[in-house]
Amino acid sequence: MRFLVHVVLIAAVLGLVGSARAQSDERAVEVARTWYRLTLELVRHTPTYSPPVASRSLAYLGVAAQEALAGGRPSTRSFAGQLNGLEAFPPRPDGIYDEAVVLQGALTISTRHFFSNTGPTGQRAMDAIGKRLDTLVSEGVDADVLERSLAYGQVIAGHVIEWSADDGGAVVENMGFPHDYVLTEGPQHWVPTSLIAQQQAPLLPAWGTNRTFAMPDGATCGVPPPPDYSEEKGSAFHNEAMEVYEAAKGLTPEQREIARFWSDDPMLSPTPPGHWISIALQLLEAEGADAERTVDVLGRLGIVLADSFIGCWEAKYRYDLVRPVTYIRRHIDAKWQPDLITPPFPEYPSGHSTQSGAAAIVLEDLFGATFAFEDETHVDDGLPPRHFESFREAAEEAAISRLYGGIHYRAAIENGLEQGYCIGAYTNGLVTRGAE
Amino acid sequence: MRHVVSVLFLSVGICVPVLAADGPVVPNFIEETATAGVDAVYEGDWEFMVGGGVAAFDCSEDGFADLYVAGGSAAAHFYRNVSDVGGKLRFERFEAGLELEGVTGAYPIDIDSDGITDLAVLRVGENVLMRGLGGCRFERANEAWGFDGGEAWSTALAATWERGASWPTLAVGNYIDRKEEGFPWGSCTDNWLHRPAAGANRFGTPFALKPSYCALSMLFTDWNRSGTPSLRVSNDREYYKGGQEQLWRIEPGATPSLYTPEEGWERLRIWGMGIASYDLDADGYPEYFLTSMADNKLQTLASGEDPSPRPTYADTAFAKGVTAHRPYVGDNLRPSTAWHAQFEDVNNDGLADLFVAKGNVAKMPDFAEEDPNNLLLQRPDGTFEEAGDRAGVASVEIGRGAALADLNLDGLLDLVVVNRWHTAQTWRNTGGDTGRWLQVRLEQDAPNRDALGAWIEVRCGDTVLRREVSSGGGHAGGQSGWHHFGLGDEAKGEIRVIWPDGDAGAWQDFDADGFYLLRRGAAPTAWTPG
Repeated sequence: MRFLVHVVLIAAVLGLVGSARAQSDERAVEVARTWYRLTLELVRHTPTYSPPVASRSLAYLGVAAQEALAGGRPSTRSFAGQLNGLEAFPPRPDGIYDEAVVLQGALTISTRHFFSNTGPTGQRAMDAIGKRLDTLVSEGVDADVLERSLAYGQVIAGHVIEWSADDGGAVVENMGFPHDYVLTEGPQHWVPTSLIAQQQAPLLPAWGTNRTFAMPDGATCGVPPPPDYSEEKGSAFHNEAMEVYEAAKGLTPEQREIARFWSDDPMLSPTPPGHWISIALQLLEAEGADAERTVDVLGRLGIVLADSFIGCWEAKYRYDLVRPVTYIRRHIDAKWQPDLITPPFPEYPSGHSTQSGAAAIVLEDLFGATFAFEDETHVDDGLPPRHFESFREAAEEAAISRLYGGIHYRAAIENGLEQGYCIGAYTNGLVTRGAE
Repeated sequence: MRHVVSVLFLSVGICVPVLAADGPVVPNFIEETATAGVDAVYEGDWEFMVGGGVAAFDCSEDGFADLYVAGGSAAAHFYRNVSDVGGKLRFERFEAGLELEGVTGAYPIDIDSDGITDLAVLRVGENVLMRGLGGCRFERANEAWGFDGGEAWSTALAATWERGASWPTLAVGNYIDRKEEGFPWGSCTDNWLHRPAAGANRFGTPFALKPSYCALSMLFTDWNRSGTPSLRVSNDREYYKGGQEQLWRIEPGATPSLYTPEEGWERLRIWGMGIASYDLDADGYPEYFLTSMADNKLQTLASGEDPSPRPTYADTAFAKGVTAHRPYVGDNLRPSTAWHAQFEDVNNDGLADLFVAKGNVAKMPDFAEEDPNNLLLQRPDGTFEEAGDRAGVASVEIGRGAALADLNLDGLLDLVVVNRWHTAQTWRNTGGDTGRWLQVRLEQDAPNRDALGAWIEVRCGDTVLRREVSSGGGHAGGQSGWHHFGLGDEAKGEIRVIWPDGDAGAWQDFDADGFYLLRRGAAPTAWTPG
């Protein structure tokens, strides 16, 4: 009888522990999703968040989330020692922790730091979301557990922030446009394409030298040179320009819709890296993913997006290629107007192609190569969802959308995708989960 | 020493402008904030990060423009102008019945056409129409005029008299849903069109202008000279989703409709904060300057002219030198934040210049914290050069609304700028080698006594200066009263008015350096202050 009572008591305690853990896990998922949802708005509404800058912040946020859980669960592995320059995190002091509170502590500080330059509305929103989630995660949690967990989450965030400080991308001035920049001479090289005064210099010319996360450096996945520059009709380069020109003239309604769908303009959308984070959030929610799965997906996706922008930018300024709008107006049609706004930096390779290829490779690894999905990222902006049979199909559509939009030649698209696939392999080599 | 380079300008067919040897004459502005008596501060936290307008109008019937300044979370204040002609600017705070809290801006309009200017007051909360009683006293008139002030965050206003109407139509622009704390983006609330009730001199139920995209400036303007003004709305892309700048077709008796891409309206998405308009190139069609963050826009009709232009605009800001995208004084090279904009001829050389009030939203680190106001002087070739620092108006306080108006009736346009968290600043224009001028007031029988929607044309040398009479635009504040023209060295000229119903008055002579009342159907009447 005493034995039976013990068994019942132990079962009850285990049940309570299991229930508490499950509740904490649900809260952790809510914490992660809510902060990420907010960061997509902050990316959109904070002018400095051009795609490369956004990708960096999203990557660090993902690392902080992963590390918040890694300290408490053997099944979640730390990125320390796997990512360039990331040293081991301070161990958790003894005691009981609530994982949702740890995550909340880490993401609150990380979001505030990596989106610190948002305006008054963003600051107000971070305050409001922070309070709302503080209330959520602290309900029913003992005060000492709450305090200990929150403090450790803050330690995690501090470690990530310190690590980020010398990566080359921590300080972005004038929204990334240098005050002094000397254009490279020669008709094959980039010249400003905008009538915006600020954009008479290209965006973030040194971004390709930033410290990468999972791949060795920005030049690791280099792209072959674009076709030799030529103004001669029939040359490979001229043919590529003609392809853009003809495509723009004959756009079908769906092609125009595709161009708009993947346009992802800074300050008018969550940008291309935010678009892929948005896709991941939709999939995780539909799947009902737990906290470990959620931070794993968001962490790896953030890392590969950041690496892909560093790699792409390294190549962009290596080749410094003229944009289609410049070439076509000079040599084909002086009044030509592309469907999309031409981004203010060199053409080759295509950033959206590189990062979409990279994202697809990583999401394939996480969800499967034939995972079909709906992308509702732009519903609030009046663009209907699009269906894809696989991540690669989505990446390929994102890539070709730049040709439809008149802002990239085919070589930039195809080689950009290949560059992304290469970069993605490094992230797929990270070990994020293990046996409990 | 005045340097006149007349040959060049006669060859391009404009007034003979006054021009310094090295460019436009830079007028001298002397700051008189400490003594002028306008001590208003635009206060408040997040809900008052936009707004901060000033209304300039004469309610004391002495010809001098009085001021009503938004106070944000503090009470708004009215200031009676007690300046002497040509003297220092002097204002006295006066209890006018306008001391409301939560005011973001105001526009003067004679709503009931009784010859006394009324005031449309925009607020965080209920908007209020204040009926002018004379002697600069006002009373609430929402109930008497059937005006539903709503309960929104109102930030823009424009007024017109639709064809045949005996009562005005007001468009009110509203901002975000202020109750949304965590995710306010995409929460733009509806703008309203307050049209007259059928057959009555009062407003009907307001019409929601859907979609609305967080308007910060609105202007009724006859962009295509059709005789029917359309409603331009400049929207803040910070908060809308799927939005853009808008042009509403407002036809009498018809449901408002947006101009579409098929009709030529091209999508433009900016942090729209203010609208200024002027026919800069003397082609009969207004240009529009749109304030934003970083680069600002100057739109010129690009679709051809008569007989029926399409609403397609080219951005000429870069070419004309008015991007005004970053500070031009100090070491801070971060992008600027622009609010009120106004075209006026501050050096009386016959060329409209451009003033832009600048100021950080509030500790936005991506943008300049010390952001000087711009005074962009137009050159004869249509480009502009920055002269804010040389003129003395390059304040780096946190500017919002402003008014360029001749506050001491000496023919030179003075300046008042409303600042967030800082006392409004007042500058007196003391001129220099400036040119001659003309100021006129329009008057017609009721309704629409101030002739909103009219066009004033001044024949100056070989060209015609042309401006549209409107109530709206800028940032959260407007003006009524004198309409000013610089004339360069021209001692005489001709003027006519194309009245709101399209009736073009006769060309009539005037002498420079004077004020005239232009009453419909009558000869210009010279007016002298005092």
